[in-house]
Amino acid sequence: MKTSLMKAIELIASMDAELLDILSVTAQMSLQSSIIALLIGLPIGIWLGACRFPGRNVLLVANRTLMGMPPVVCGLLFYMLFSGVGPFRHLRLLFTVDIMIMAQVVLITPIVVGNMETYVAGVAPAVRETAKGLGLSGTKTFLLLCSECIYQIISAYLLAFSRSIAEVGAVSMVGGAISWKTNVMTTAIMQYTNRGNFSLGVALGIILLSLSLIVNIVISLLQRRLSR
Amino acid sequence: MKISPFSKTYEGRCVLDFPGIELQHGRIYAIVGANGSGKSTFAKILAGILRPDKRDRLFSGGAIGYMPQKNYAFRMSTKANLLLNGNDMARANALMDAVHIRHLANKRADRLSGGETARMALARLMMKQYDLVILDEPTAAMDMETSLLAEKIIVEYVKKTGCALVLVTHSLQQARRIADEVLFFHEGRLLEVGTAQQMLTSPEKDETKRFLEFYGF
Repeated sequence: MKTSLMKAIELIASMDAELLDILSVTAQMSLQSSIIALLIGLPIGIWLGACRFPGRNVLLVANRTLMGMPPVVCGLLFYMLFSGVGPFRHLRLLFTVDIMIMAQVVLITPIVVGNMETYVAGVAPAVRETAKGLGLSGTKTFLLLCSECIYQIISAYLLAFSRSIAEVGAVSMVGGAISWKTNVMTTAIMQYTNRGNFSLGVALGIILLSLSLIVNIVISLLQRRLSR
Repeated sequence: MKISPFSKTYEGRCVLDFPGIELQHGRIYAIVGANGSGKSTFAKILAGILRPDKRDRLFSGGAIGYMPQKNYAFRMSTKANLLLNGNDMARANALMDAVHIRHLANKRADRLSGGETARMALARLMMKQYDLVILDEPTAAMDMETSLLAEKIIVEYVKKTGCALVLVTHSLQQARRIADEVLFFHEGRLLEVGTAQQMLTSPEKDETKRFLEFYGF
């Protein structure tokens, strides 16, 4: 462990080019996929939480099922769709960062939706009742509901980002973990471990955890600032 | 202002059967009755929160203001909560003064105590003028002193705006203090209507008599 920690520090200090590339691909994939998932999942989650309509329960069950989708199944699906025999082969997206982002979006959007839906379903009746009682417009009510959910939005984003940065099954399948192209932290850890280079694998693991810690600290500070 | 007859059925059981009523401007109507008598359901349907069985227009008047039983404070300052319902800062200050929450103007409203939240909610509602105002147990979270203060403000608001005010209350003393008329609900039906004096001293129905006796009237 001590060796791994030293190696992690050495890796960072040496500004190893391959490590920087892995970090860059990881950041690109995690940030983009979590932001896209938030942009898609947020309105759907609020809509499902705030509105009652026929078929809502079916959508909720479908979303909960998708929340539990194994990443390798998602990876397999994308592989089949974009591989040489798939219907989208002409897009030539397989083994690119773009398809990794797409697979991640499919994996984490249901988590954002589920997270928002649960919270909004709890707070929406009181917000709606109060807003209606005051005679506020539908738009104003919706904006108020969004502002009441601000902590939850941050929390949902954190969840999406954490899931995205830690995911390995789907990204290795559709990205192929190609060095200098689609290799991210998690797939690199797998590669080093498979080669028997455990200390380098653990070192990358420590860097990954540190990154996650930094993001959590930044978001906690943001939440604390907003709660004043 | 006329309120049309309406009913509400839950899972095949009629929980409210209201025959309709004519409301006068500038008067306070207290809705009393035991738990489960349909008071809050009546208030919610009237306010448009719940749908009656038949979706006809219930109220022939104008704007309706409603203060629910559980007051919700939006995650912003007390002052900002009031300004959600109108931009008149002077009026907001006057109302905060009236309900003794001016010193809490910049405090986050979702961190107020239950009594303070109720006073904020009352002031927030009174930022605007309505034709019909429905208050569902507005003083339930308040102590006696604050409750009397709120009653004074409610009476003043009705006098000033000329609105009709429907007050759902558990307190018969409160009904006697500020209501012009009392509507007694029993098991989802409007059983008796009369002036506060008449209803609380010489009710006609046995159920009303039993209810009043239980509360020491």
